Amino acid sequence: MTEEKKVVDLLAVFSDLEPAADAVEQLRALGVHDDCMNVISGVPVTEAMLGRPRQWTNVPRIAMGGAILGFGAGFFLAFISPYLYPYPIQVNTHAFVPGPPTVVVLFELTMLGMLLSTFLGVFLDSFFPNYRPMKYVPEISDGKIAILVECPHMEEGKITDTLKKLGAESVKPAEAQHL
Amino acid sequence: MAYDKNKSEHAHHDDHSGHSEAHFREKHLMLDPLPRGQMNDMVMESMTGKPTWKFWAAVIILGGIVAYGLVYTWARMIIEGIGIAGVNRPSYWGIFLVNTVFWIGISHAGTFISAILRVFKAEFRRPFTRAAELMTTFGLVQAGFSVFMHMGRVWLSYWLFPYPNQRMLWPNLHSPLTWDLLAITTYLLSSTMYLFLPLIPDMAMARDRSTGWRKNLYKVLALGFRGTEGEWTHLRNAMNIFAFAIIPVMFSVHTIVSWDFAAATRPGWNSTIFGPYFVVGALHSGMGAAVIVLAVIRGNMKHMKYFIRAEHFDAIGKLMLIISMAWAYFFFNDYMVQWYGGDKWTHQLLHFHEEGPLGWMWLSMLICNVAVPWAILWNTKWRSTPWLVSTVGIIINVGMWFERYIIVPVSLTINRAPFTWRMYKPGVEIQLGIGTLALFILLYVLASKIIPLIPVWEVQEGQMAHELKKFGRETVVSVSELE
Repeated sequence: MTEEKKVVDLLAVFSDLEPAADAVEQLRALGVHDDCMNVISGVPVTEAMLGRPRQWTNVPRIAMGGAILGFGAGFFLAFISPYLYPYPIQVNTHAFVPGPPTVVVLFELTMLGMLLSTFLGVFLDSFFPNYRPMKYVPEISDGKIAILVECPHMEEGKITDTLKKLGAESVKPAEAQHL
Repeated sequence: MAYDKNKSEHAHHDDHSGHSEAHFREKHLMLDPLPRGQMNDMVMESMTGKPTWKFWAAVIILGGIVAYGLVYTWARMIIEGIGIAGVNRPSYWGIFLVNTVFWIGISHAGTFISAILRVFKAEFRRPFTRAAELMTTFGLVQAGFSVFMHMGRVWLSYWLFPYPNQRMLWPNLHSPLTWDLLAITTYLLSSTMYLFLPLIPDMAMARDRSTGWRKNLYKVLALGFRGTEGEWTHLRNAMNIFAFAIIPVMFSVHTIVSWDFAAATRPGWNSTIFGPYFVVGALHSGMGAAVIVLAVIRGNMKHMKYFIRAEHFDAIGKLMLIISMAWAYFFFNDYMVQWYGGDKWTHQLLHFHEEGPLGWMWLSMLICNVAVPWAILWNTKWRSTPWLVSTVGIIINVGMWFERYIIVPVSLTINRAPFTWRMYKPGVEIQLGIGTLALFILLYVLASKIIPLIPVWEVQEGQMAHELKKFGRETVVSVSELE
């Protein structure tokens, strides 16, 4: 790789939200694309607070998929399983598949499917569990906000200076480490 | 971040309403921010500090009770048969099912505090959502144990599960007992997942400041969480879905438990109001249990007085008072209709409740569930006194256990066949019941040393959103909606 094309990751640590949001804006002005930045924080800081594009999440869709699967499982148990008996049990004039109990089974399994898949959705979307080395500093869980910037090697000095001027406590090349 | 922000920009040190900034800080956790690192250290110290002799004494005593009351006694019941329990004609349902209903009730507090208060953005919930969620999970474990004890031949419990077995015998999914299995399983799994999701960032926090076996444990449980924008977005979305979806699941669990009774055409049970009556009863005992847990945590764990304050007892006390009123309304509603109905056997049963050999229990139930909470919780000062509110919580739980005892074995004593009438006398149910209570407390005591009981990131998020504002001459608390 030539020197111009070499890319480095910088990790800038801020102690407050305002300078971090300013830094995001300034980085964009310097030509850093939003896809080349990631904000890491110890509290859920919304995209709007940082002026960042909205994050995409598949969790609601995965939840919906799980609800449909759960409904299907409930449908099988409530409507189909009674017919699977070798000797179906008909009690007097009672409906073979009665309505109200069916609603209970459908409801419980639909909710179970939805909540299980919501939980799994977080794992899928966040690539959890992930025990590989990652770019991170423990100060983040102490309330600091870090901006992880991917930039051309040639721009490293300029971006470091800019981030420091905007109040970054430290700006250094990000190193992947075991958490 | 928020802690170094000047929150009192608009506030004077003293205003004409007499409330200084210091007064607000002392009163409200959300207005008394500390640096996040300091809060993390406080929570970590409460977990990792050297256990006191009191901790070890509690563990040994509780462990002994669990070993005798639960393990040994249950093993004996399995070997000798369910005959050593007191259940017999006509009271086939005894303390095992009283305890099942009781523990499911306790488990409602976690969801109520964590999900309903989250949906309605009740800010006071923030420091104790996890403590309540833990109650839900541990309470449901005891409920599950109680059901298995009631089964007797517990090794055949897998027959309840729908699976294509050799003889193609499917469980009857149209029976309330199978709905119980589905509802309790759904609720146990959902509440455990709902406990775990908001725990992930706190596990990451614990991972970042631990060493040795703790580091390895928290590393595994933190799943590699760093706090990137994507991770927070997925987590926030999932927690929102859970908060809304787990509420109907919570309602359904105790409603279905109530149908175990109400779907039968027995005097005293066949009531259309049993569903909501049970749900309100569950919330009543659950909130009572939550306040006991908070008082114990506050009194025994390091730094917890910062996180759990009088304002929290005051807020829960208000909820307890409202729920007590709702319980009284449902109780009277149920009683009134049964009394007015004029059915001979129902009248006989109501008379037996009030003036039978366990009439004292019926009266105590009303005193514990209605008279005591109403007499104490109306007063702000009393409501804000941790020992007093937690004592009310204990009394409510005694009252709610009595209520379940009256509904289950006492009501089964009177039926339409007088020749079968017989008082229920519990056998090993008492030891087993005490064993489940000890296991619940033991699990909680052990968890307090491993799981951060305070969701630090949620507290910090709340502190970021709160500030003091001035309206005219008055300083008031203002909350911003950050999400």
